[in-house]
Amino acid sequence: MSIDKLSIEQISALQLSDSFFPTGMYTTSNGLEALFYKKQRKLYSPNELLEMIKVYLECQIGPADCTALGNSYDCAKRKDVGALVEIDRMIFSMKLIRDIREASARSGSQLIRCLVSFITDNDVLNNFNDMIKTGGATGVYPVAFAIACNALEISKNTAGLAMLYSFTVSMVGAALRLGMLQHYDGQRIIHELKPDISEIVEKCIERPLSSMWQFAPGIDIIQVKHERMNSKMFIT
Amino acid sequence: MVSNSRIPRVGIGGPVGSGKTMLIEQIVPILSSRGYLVGIISNDVVSREDAERMRRNLATEKGLMSEDLVIGLATGGCPHTAVREDPSMNISVVEEMESKHNELDLIIIESGGDNITTTFSPALADYFIYIIDVTGGDKYPRKRGLGIENCDLLVINKIDIAQYVGADLTIMERDAKIVRGAKPYVFVNCKTGQGVKDVTEHIIRDVLFESAPKAVVK
Repeated sequence: MSIDKLSIEQISALQLSDSFFPTGMYTTSNGLEALFYKKQRKLYSPNELLEMIKVYLECQIGPADCTALGNSYDCAKRKDVGALVEIDRMIFSMKLIRDIREASARSGSQLIRCLVSFITDNDVLNNFNDMIKTGGATGVYPVAFAIACNALEISKNTAGLAMLYSFTVSMVGAALRLGMLQHYDGQRIIHELKPDISEIVEKCIERPLSSMWQFAPGIDIIQVKHERMNSKMFIT
Repeated sequence: MVSNSRIPRVGIGGPVGSGKTMLIEQIVPILSSRGYLVGIISNDVVSREDAERMRRNLATEKGLMSEDLVIGLATGGCPHTAVREDPSMNISVVEEMESKHNELDLIIIESGGDNITTTFSPALADYFIYIIDVTGGDKYPRKRGLGIENCDLLVINKIDIAQYVGADLTIMERDAKIVRGAKPYVFVNCKTGQGVKDVTEHIIRDVLFESAPKAVVK
């Protein structure tokens, strides 16, 4: 790969994983807010938060979203929109908590919609956007992200890293806004999670769709509790 | 399925406690009496209280809309971002409302935000009302800010208590004219409804272009 092409791929990956990219992910804490109130607003230690994010990555985002992303990327590459719709349906159904499902679909839909405003000649992107518009696909985030990365010629592995990195940043961002930790701690957590992100992507991104799983009942319960909270700052 | 028919959208922003929710509670019955059907999306930083109050007052008690036409949206602590830099979640919810209720004539999007930085993305709202109140002092319009300067209509609320907080309405009016040029402003008292009809007339003229309600056209 030429240096120019590599540079553009890297810049595109930075663009999609930047919190400035308009997907609305900053409105979600993935249930973290409920934990904060459960602990009566006491600060978590940064290491507790780090371990918590690791559980999300290892038991939900890695084996479910990252595997869905890897498979979707392959489908997007061979322009198989039918298979993308099938993965969209599967991963959407696997998200047990309504608010989490809906937020993921909204973020993914907006990601695709933003992209089609400046990439007009990618058939998969356009067709999948039409599927979302007509209700044929939900636009759930990992599938949308895979399609976006394929359209921007970002490699599959980089796509996986970018998605897990974005998730980690959104969790740390939510914790910061909740006052759970200080900003330097947030950066340390992101730094210390880099090997985990890398390892999880390597482990999950090439797995077949049939091995997709998620099992984090503690997190599910927290997210259900968050969904039912009367007073909250985050959607999820 | 997302409809192609975009429903006109009004964004109402203003500081906490300025009277955004009460303004909506005053505007909607007037629009409703003229035959217009309205949906509401309320961005709330920490609670669903405003959305629940409007649902109870406007839908459950007055029957001016169905209950699912008032939606509360949490913004992750970033109300400005949710209506300006990254309005993705709001746009998604607006479009879901458009697709399920294309009979609506207007969608109102409410969001808190201070006078310095609040504006609505044009992708989200077609018309931007910014509401302040007199309790911040009569310096408020003079201090400018994106909301006060850029909004399509500036609403100054709680004029009934101006005398008690030492706010001179003539100063506020003078400064609003200086800061905003020809763009309109309205003094209101949302408790009594004083001035609210003028706000509604602005919406009917400048947003709905005096078109007949969809229900009437059908």
